[in-house]
Amino acid sequence: MQNITRIYALSKRNIILRYKNSLVGFFWGFLKPLLYLLIFIVIFKANSGLPNYILFVSSGLILWFFFSNVTGQTVGSIVGSAGLLKSLNIPSYFFPLSETLSELFNLMLTLSVFLVLMYWFGLVYTPRLLLILPCILLFAIFALGLNLLLASVNVFFRDIGIIWGTVQPALFFLTPIGYPEKNIPERYQLVVQCNPIYYFIKLGRTIFYETTPPSLDLWVHCIIIAFGMYLLGQFVFNRLKNQFISAI
Amino acid sequence: MSAETIIKVENVDVSFWQNNVGVYSLKDLITHRKSPFKSKQILHNICLDVKRGESLGILGRNGSGKSTLLRTIAGVIKPGNGKVTVNGSFAPILAIGAGLELELTGYENVALLLALYGTARSNTNVVENIREFSELSDEVMRMPVKQYSSGMVARLAFSISLANDSDILIIDEVLAVGDQGFQAKCAGKIEQLKAAGTTILFVSHFPEGVMKICNKAVLMENGHITHRGDAAEICDNYRMLF
Repeated sequence: MQNITRIYALSKRNIILRYKNSLVGFFWGFLKPLLYLLIFIVIFKANSGLPNYILFVSSGLILWFFFSNVTGQTVGSIVGSAGLLKSLNIPSYFFPLSETLSELFNLMLTLSVFLVLMYWFGLVYTPRLLLILPCILLFAIFALGLNLLLASVNVFFRDIGIIWGTVQPALFFLTPIGYPEKNIPERYQLVVQCNPIYYFIKLGRTIFYETTPPSLDLWVHCIIIAFGMYLLGQFVFNRLKNQFISAI
Repeated sequence: MSAETIIKVENVDVSFWQNNVGVYSLKDLITHRKSPFKSKQILHNICLDVKRGESLGILGRNGSGKSTLLRTIAGVIKPGNGKVTVNGSFAPILAIGAGLELELTGYENVALLLALYGTARSNTNVVENIREFSELSDEVMRMPVKQYSSGMVARLAFSISLANDSDILIIDEVLAVGDQGFQAKCAGKIEQLKAAGTTILFVSHFPEGVMKICNKAVLMENGHITHRGDAAEICDNYRMLF
């Protein structure tokens, strides 16, 4: 119970800190994907050959921005919490966890704004849309695992934090978010299949855009990737956590 | 004063990884398979036994392992060997301003630390007591901590740590920062807590302060406890170091 209060306090701190000294504050949460949506409409819409391109691209953008925000924020979270970690006996995994939770909160706000917007562009409200919640949960578990990995390794090799800013845009264009996967040439299909984020984006898009519900096969893929990543992240984090204090 | 042991430190060793990461270490890693990390032992076979209500001074040169010992006792650092047993609650360690979030206001910091610390609920009463003790105005408390002077930061940090009715108070050389009035106030508060039975661990470079506050003391050198005994005696040993 006490731990829940502590994680809540840290998550609240993250949200306050993120938008401190900014004019429109948390509106950036949905303004960023909205700006990208506009860019995508201008650049890719004509070539995509898709009916209702806006619906196609929106769900992918929301999920991608959750991912890019949360990893970007968390990679330095252990290093950035040196003061607290050195003066209080709190479990260090609280920091990546609370970053993930506060970004989830942001995602929910963004999602509600986009739900209204997407209705405007022809989204039909059906109970099937609720499937987005387990989809988000799985993606969040995946992100938490990756966060634990990035944040703990970054304590010892700060290169991680530096390079992550460059890896992210590469991943973004590698993932079929703004364009359909059938546009990717046959010989590059393997690259797409090896990209873990692709599965979560596809799952979210199927729920919002396709007429058929997501296949069991896709769900299983997402579940395995999410928990696999989480276990890997947790393992590495546990191996390193006792030496955090000496390196921050 | 009861003779119950509140902190027991048994044969504790603490080692840090020394990080030699850089271009050269990358070369070493590839050509010689040498790990970029070396282990350096900071604390050697530390044994301590602190009774409830006691106040223990910890003296030693810079870098002798005093802060590491405090952090190990507080559970912030896990010992490599040995065991630390504590039968009580801690106030956050009072290193100067550590743990305060510079971008947050005084009030936001108070709320965050109280929640993280977990003993006191951050109700208005506790918050007001903290503000009153720190003598910072309501207006200052609404300012981000980055705009505080170092003395104001120390006031806030000290006041937050004192707000929790904890069994053990750890003081890591903070008293030198506040102005004279505040120093006197803190000394008074410490006396009051001592009288109420709070156990105190006090790190300082001023033997006078240690003699005033502590009845027992230890002297540390290079990660070892070299002397232990009455505060006055250990303070003499400390002076002889220089």
